[in-house]
Amino acid sequence: MNVTANRTKLPPSQHKFADIIHRLEAGGAMLPDTPENLMQIIGLYKAYAVPMDFYWRDLLYIGEQVFLNPFPFFKYFISDEYMDRHNHYAGDDADLRVWRGQADAHPELREFMDKGELKMKLPRLAHHLWHDRINMEFAEECMRAMLWHRGMYVPVNQFDPFLDSDEYKANADRAIKAYFKGNPAMLALHKAFPDLFLEQCRQSSYYANLGLFWEVMAPVFFEMSDLYDEGKMTSVPQAMDFLVNGIFAIAGRPIYHHVYIQGECYEIIPKSKGFTWLYEAALPYVEAVFYRTAPFRGTKSYNAQAGQVPSEQKDFHYGVLYADKFPVGTAGIPPTLLAQDMLHFLPQYLVDYYREHCRGEDDMLIQLIVSFQRSMYCVTSAVIQALRSALLYPLDDPNPNHLKANRAFFESQIDRFLRPESRILDIQTPDYR
Amino acid sequence: MLSALIWLPVIGAALVGFLPGNISASRARIGAIAISGVLLLWTIYLLTQFNLVTPGLQMQEYLPWIQTLGLNYSLGVDGLSLPLVALTNLLTLVVIFSSDLQAPKSAPLKRPRLFYSLVLLISGGMAGALLAQNLLLFFLFYEVELIPFYLMISIWGSEKRDYAAIKFLLYTAVSGILILAAFLAINWLTNASSFDYAAISTQGLSQRTQLILLTLMIVGFGIKIPLVPLHTWLPDAYVEASTPTAILLGGVLAKLGTYGLVRFCLGLFPETWSLVTPGLSIVAAVSVLYGTLAALAQKDIKRMVAYSSIGHMGYVLLGTIALTPLALVGAVSQMVSHGLILALLFYLVGVIETKVGTRDLDVLNGLLNPIRGLPTISALLILAGMGSAGIPGMAGFISEFLVFQGSFAAFPVPTLLCVVGTALTAVYFVILLNRTCFGKLDNKTAYYPKVTGLEQLPAIALTGLIIWLGVQPSWLVRWSESTTTALVAATPVYEARQLAMSPIVPLSEVSSHPTISNPSIH
Repeated sequence: MNVTANRTKLPPSQHKFADIIHRLEAGGAMLPDTPENLMQIIGLYKAYAVPMDFYWRDLLYIGEQVFLNPFPFFKYFISDEYMDRHNHYAGDDADLRVWRGQADAHPELREFMDKGELKMKLPRLAHHLWHDRINMEFAEECMRAMLWHRGMYVPVNQFDPFLDSDEYKANADRAIKAYFKGNPAMLALHKAFPDLFLEQCRQSSYYANLGLFWEVMAPVFFEMSDLYDEGKMTSVPQAMDFLVNGIFAIAGRPIYHHVYIQGECYEIIPKSKGFTWLYEAALPYVEAVFYRTAPFRGTKSYNAQAGQVPSEQKDFHYGVLYADKFPVGTAGIPPTLLAQDMLHFLPQYLVDYYREHCRGEDDMLIQLIVSFQRSMYCVTSAVIQALRSALLYPLDDPNPNHLKANRAFFESQIDRFLRPESRILDIQTPDYR
Repeated sequence: MLSALIWLPVIGAALVGFLPGNISASRARIGAIAISGVLLLWTIYLLTQFNLVTPGLQMQEYLPWIQTLGLNYSLGVDGLSLPLVALTNLLTLVVIFSSDLQAPKSAPLKRPRLFYSLVLLISGGMAGALLAQNLLLFFLFYEVELIPFYLMISIWGSEKRDYAAIKFLLYTAVSGILILAAFLAINWLTNASSFDYAAISTQGLSQRTQLILLTLMIVGFGIKIPLVPLHTWLPDAYVEASTPTAILLGGVLAKLGTYGLVRFCLGLFPETWSLVTPGLSIVAAVSVLYGTLAALAQKDIKRMVAYSSIGHMGYVLLGTIALTPLALVGAVSQMVSHGLILALLFYLVGVIETKVGTRDLDVLNGLLNPIRGLPTISALLILAGMGSAGIPGMAGFISEFLVFQGSFAAFPVPTLLCVVGTALTAVYFVILLNRTCFGKLDNKTAYYPKVTGLEQLPAIALTGLIIWLGVQPSWLVRWSESTTTALVAATPVYEARQLAMSPIVPLSEVSSHPTISNPSIH
């Protein structure tokens, strides 16, 4: 995708972030191409992929097995079946082998789940209560952001409108009745408040949606990390291109929701609906988690009455790309719990790098959140380039009008970072840590 | 025994400053720490040897010096001076220990040997002034303090240090002149054989003469404390001075003013003192309210703490003029707790300034952040603010409560105004803490270096002491109880009150069995 000899030249952009627009037009990313940035983002992809390997397994476990359990105390205690479940994009039997590694749970993940941070083999419940575990709450918050910001990318995204269709309601109703079979109290509750479990079912569908999305991302990140370690990935645009190519390769992966009740499969959202990974999962995910999420009242108070919180959800801007780098205790974004998870799986070169900066060991959590932000700017760049590629013209198109259309697209995308909270200017410098 | 407190630091200052040809800064620091450590240990030993029930002077030392002038080397310690000596030696150690810790490696403490010498000289001078039992000897030490303080402000101060240092020098020199004039006049008018306290009796002077002499001393010591409206040197000196100097100025030097009020104004003129107390009660209330309201208006946290000091010294004055044993013991306790709390506040403000690079309330934010903030320092700042605002469980509460309890009967309205001042203290500390510690760190600027354990140590020690004296107040008041009770008992107001309360008890019995009736402080 690198465009070195662009014959047709446009006059320089007048956008506030013209440099970034020009970099995107030249096939680059929003993140500057430096070895330091590359090391940070790839290291972070690896550290993110290991807990993500758990997230997607557990999300599917909750969506498919826990389902409507009113007391889901053990929803984070997934079965061996789910730990051994083969990723469709890794291992020998992959549908499309993105990662050359194994299909079942990553060895580092298994080791951590056994011994935790304490490095002691204790009963799983003890690790859990000591909070020495993978923080699934982060994954659930991302899922909830997708559920809460409904209607994103409609009509391109058909998954969300389907949740309100009669077909979905009928499928869900069948599953709800089957799940509560022999439980007259819950059935009566369902009868009295038909929307109650239906909404839970929609949430469950989003569990499945995000689980299927991340099932793809984990091997993508593992592979990028391996390529970097082998010296085959040497620049930020290369990393972004890998993501763009991955997005296109996997774009058609079906998104569905199957529930298993007493051994029987209930297809609440069947594969036959034709929902796909790119439009029904990836785009809503990026929109919900990278851009929007929700105002968290951690250390910063928002006064909604004073207009500090937009009245329209589509105008929300509390996502990863805008978030505070200081952990504030939230499950979602700013990513306090995720940072804790990633800390356990940092590659050694990143640990050494963090030790040399700021407060070293003491503020590694913050340093890695900043690296995480950088890496997510790279992912977002990949999504922007993929959309440009799908909807508009090649970067080396000779027609100036096409290039103008590309520029208008890039500028409209970058306009979203004109807000003062945006971190786009911060990540342009290495001093933001 | 007492001479060691004066001459050990003076000899130490000479050693650190002059003797070895070429010692490094860290060695000089270790030497100074060793000397001040020995001083503190010696003070602790003296505390163990001090007789709590004797109201008069103990461990006296006497050496005739220039007898034609009436100047003798006469030392002694009582319940008034002992706590202040202990405070001085503790803060000296804190200052020397912390002096080179906070400086970033790129900007180490300049002229370290001179610095340590001056701090030790201040310690020796303070001990001399507090222990002297001769007016001229006191005056010598009182004036000797000025030079090291002037140098410390003008060498290690911040931008406007020259202005602040000169202002400090002029004010305190005037203070010295007034006090010298009063001392000389006392000696001449009473025809005393020497300047020894014991040799002086002001009974024979007319009330008018006494009033003039007393006024001279009140103004002289009032500058040092300082009392409103003689305070204008303070904000500049405290703010422009470096952290160690500010600690010594507020924690140690200001105490000489209140000490002088009790020792000389009340001690030498017990009858006339009773006459001026109503007027001084207004000055106390004005000082408290002015200091508090001025602190409320500040944007600079160091200036805020400096103004809070004016307010807190007002409580000492209130306790001194109420002429009840309870209030006076409260005043002495307030001198100690104010010294500890102010030193802690200045220390913490100094750490924040060094690490964050600003003292501006509008810029500071979110320092309690556990990872990139200064969480321990912020937590200690919250405790120090609580201590200064007189929250129960800390030393500040004990002394303020004793002062208010003891003063209310004598001066109800000024006392109530001072109580209002305490409430307002809580208000400005809430503002300070809310802006500084709470809220959200700025993503763009929060790259502060971390605070090391050694940097936290002095603050933790001071906080521990403040809390300990707050929950075990007898350790704060026991030293001065007998002395202050005897001082108050010598005033006619107290005698009159005792007579009114129990007319059948002979006066002599009342004054010979002074006790503090409040059981809560035992």
